[in-house]
Amino acid sequence: MNEEILAKWRSYDWQLLRDRDTPRSPLMHMALDELLMNEVSQGKRKPTLRIWEWGANAVVLGRFQSVRNEVDPEGAKRHNVQVVRRISGGGAMFIEPGNTITYSLYAPIELVAGMSAIESYAFLDQWVLIALERLGVKAWYQPINDITSEGGKIGGAAQKRQAQSVLHHVTMSYDINSAKMLEVLRIGREKLSDKGTTSAAKRVDPVRRQTGLPRVEVIDHMVATFRELFGLQDSQLSEEELAAAEELIATKFGTDEWLYALP
Amino acid sequence: MHGEYKIPGGKLVVVDLDVIDQRLANVQVSGDFFLEPDEALFALSQSLEGLPADSSEQTITERAAEALANAETLGITAEGVAVAVRRAITGGAA
Repeated sequence: MNEEILAKWRSYDWQLLRDRDTPRSPLMHMALDELLMNEVSQGKRKPTLRIWEWGANAVVLGRFQSVRNEVDPEGAKRHNVQVVRRISGGGAMFIEPGNTITYSLYAPIELVAGMSAIESYAFLDQWVLIALERLGVKAWYQPINDITSEGGKIGGAAQKRQAQSVLHHVTMSYDINSAKMLEVLRIGREKLSDKGTTSAAKRVDPVRRQTGLPRVEVIDHMVATFRELFGLQDSQLSEEELAAAEELIATKFGTDEWLYALP
Repeated sequence: MHGEYKIPGGKLVVVDLDVIDQRLANVQVSGDFFLEPDEALFALSQSLEGLPADSSEQTITERAAEALANAETLGITAEGVAVAVRRAITGGAA
């Protein structure tokens, strides 16, 4: 990573939120993303890296996806999967807590000033590619928003922008139960038509297979890489933030109006 | 009726609609693309309501382009929307 890029990142006092022992519900994660993005926009919170711990199975729909086109309701019920909608665009993710590595960056918009949207995706995940490389995983960015490797896709990113800030969040496959995923998500042939494969299950090559490391060690290593490159202070969610997120669940993310905005 | 189109180098555009009295109705555009602001998507779906079901891809493209004119788009194009709409209407590849 060149000095100019490092200097850009280091000009902020990055905060880490990592509730290692406090898994959160899928709805709480949706609400925290909106809340923390707003706080960074308003200058109430410093730029933040948040590592997610999932409290339950979930399908997380992109802002513009339709529930019935993406989710098999029988499969979701059978596997105890909660369906939620996030504030960013992009595609549906099937989440099982131990199989997933998810993080969010809440950054001032100046960090990506002068870049196209596509450039900003790769830019904001450069540190992750470095972290993966140090674990022996040769990964790269496949525009628009995929992190991929020779063996297949590792993860996907999505962004939401405001005038003052950008939310950039990524879900990586640590491990994957493809059969279960295919029972829960509807993945059509059309979606795969220009990706050169016909099987959704084959497209993913999870981090566990590629590194052989426990999930927590991979996350530790990612956090350490970010800390070393850009600096990182440990931080906590305040009582006020948690209460505000609960309020957002009650008024927005937990409502049918939000989830079924596109039925 | 349902149509999908994976925009080469972009994202998947999905269109669900009905044809009532030879016109498009209940149009819902969805997919895994990116769009700011959010409202632009609903404006896009709305802009296609009432179009004659035999509208050409060109006509649909123009209508969609107008609706997307002030939006920031990533992975979705007016042309791609038009292909998905035609596929929904004809029930196959357009």
